[in-house]
Amino acid sequence: MATEYFLRMGDGQKIFMTKEDILADIEAGCADAADLGDIPALSEDEMDHMLDIITSPGRIVGVEPGLEVPVTHDIGAIRIDGDQGNSGVGIPASRLVGSMVHERAFGADTMELGHIDYSFKPVKPVISQEQQTMEVCQQNMVIPMLYGAMPNMGLYYTPDGPFENPGDLMKAFKISEAQDSIQHAGDHGIRDMVWIMQKLQKVGSDGVNFDTIGAAGDGDMYASLNAIEQLRKEFPNMYINAGMAGELVLGMHGDLEYDGTRLAGLWPHEQVLLAEKAGANTFGPVCNTNTSKTSAWNMGRSVTFTKAAVEASSIPCHADMGMGVGGIPMLETPPIDAVTRASKAIVEIAGVDGI
Amino acid sequence: MGKRWGICLSASAPTTLSIFYKSLWDCHRIVFKGGFKTTNEELFKTLSDAVVSCKKDDVIAAVEKAKGQAPAVELIDNGLAAGMNEVGVLFERGKLFLPHVMMAADAMSAGVEMLQDELATGEGASTKLGVIVNGTVEGDVHDIGKAIVSTMLQAAGFEVHDIGRDVPVQNFIDKIKETNADMVGLSALMTTTLQGQKEVIELLKENGMRDSIKVMVGGAPATDAWAKKCGADCYAENASEAVAKAKELLL
Repeated sequence: MATEYFLRMGDGQKIFMTKEDILADIEAGCADAADLGDIPALSEDEMDHMLDIITSPGRIVGVEPGLEVPVTHDIGAIRIDGDQGNSGVGIPASRLVGSMVHERAFGADTMELGHIDYSFKPVKPVISQEQQTMEVCQQNMVIPMLYGAMPNMGLYYTPDGPFENPGDLMKAFKISEAQDSIQHAGDHGIRDMVWIMQKLQKVGSDGVNFDTIGAAGDGDMYASLNAIEQLRKEFPNMYINAGMAGELVLGMHGDLEYDGTRLAGLWPHEQVLLAEKAGANTFGPVCNTNTSKTSAWNMGRSVTFTKAAVEASSIPCHADMGMGVGGIPMLETPPIDAVTRASKAIVEIAGVDGI
Repeated sequence: MGKRWGICLSASAPTTLSIFYKSLWDCHRIVFKGGFKTTNEELFKTLSDAVVSCKKDDVIAAVEKAKGQAPAVELIDNGLAAGMNEVGVLFERGKLFLPHVMMAADAMSAGVEMLQDELATGEGASTKLGVIVNGTVEGDVHDIGKAIVSTMLQAAGFEVHDIGRDVPVQNFIDKIKETNADMVGLSALMTTTLQGQKEVIELLKENGMRDSIKVMVGGAPATDAWAKKCGADCYAENASEAVAKAKELLL
């Protein structure tokens, strides 16, 4: 009987597979990415290396010495205190304490301050609170402290926002009205994101992390890229990370453009070029995990997409690795065996500059 | 009228063949006195391309031109629906998106509407393949996918009773009894409403009707595994597959 190795499904379920089957899944995931993105597949050596990583006997794995990369943690400021099903550990601690624990105990190389709602729009009414917390963090910490939030354009549509919900409009076949609503929400979002970061820059923020760009489709990316462009003009030395929501920018509008490029349908190696053009310092490529596929398939796909982005980019790529992205299973607290294997592969094979 | 040859003579077609535009080796295009006539394949491609363009005006113009040159069922099946399938493929590959799919679906519906009269009276109208009740289960307001499936089933020769969206469970039972249906199609687009499909099946059992009717499930969260689990006879991933599965089960 062939030896079987422990790995996981995309939903976290433990499974056992032979080396041959694992390699077949790596190849299939890789081929899927190459086909969709029209990008090169991984080489045989790279796939063999991934196979070695997955079948490594240890529960956790790590990169080879010398290949370590900077790591940061989105919304880590509330990860200690948080206990609302967001993979926090529920230990009462302020956001300052949470950030300092990440800096001094967990070895984070950069951190970000984030609001509990973690979207730009809800930050507006509490901007003074955010400014004060940012200032205190900056006074107590050494590592770069950014402000992080999601563009989350969904909050701009009814019933949460002022613009008519494109989903409702489309259901009624009011396509052009839906597109207009997305465009208006995007313009509104640009104004909000720039205003919020102007306020935080005043109190010493080192920059901003746009987290999950494109989560609400191409309107979300349109708003984010334009906000990045405006912030770059106003703050030439500000540190800006453009982190994506998925490997594909969905076309909720369908025809929005940035600098003459249609946003809908862009894959990571194309997204990064626009992030760079807009003025981002780093780019966060993302590949969503398919919960019905194995981690071998998901890692093959994720690393293929990410490698293409790294090769296309002239700015550092800091891959988003966590629950449901980067080949890691979709669990609130992802299992460490899967996290370390996907992370090692994304560094050693895709060649990312950070996580 | 064979598809391969496709020398289409509409009511207004000239009777005198003047010259051959090209050799007849593939019969793709023949020039009649007074203008070009196209083969059925070209006709279908024009219709398909019009749907893929997502422009309603283009589809209406293409259908207007195609009417009478081939049976309405073929115009829908090989032209409009083929275009819609292509839109689906482009959607899956991230080349077209929701607004485009919506526009294409709207355009296709307009095209099908133009062919409704002929569908009702044309070839095959009197020989129905079976009676199907189609609807989106209670709590789910999604309509488009189910409407396309209804159109395709109708175009394929089934008598379809589309009872709409957000349909209470009992309404399915009532309509099945009223029409003496051979099959019921249950659509759900959300994981939260998927259970509604099972509820209809359970009620069919309670009413002693389950053995006399086939059940097809569909919609984004539905799968083959779900079909087996909830007790359906089949799962169809898209409109074309729905037609194929319906034929498989009922003919």
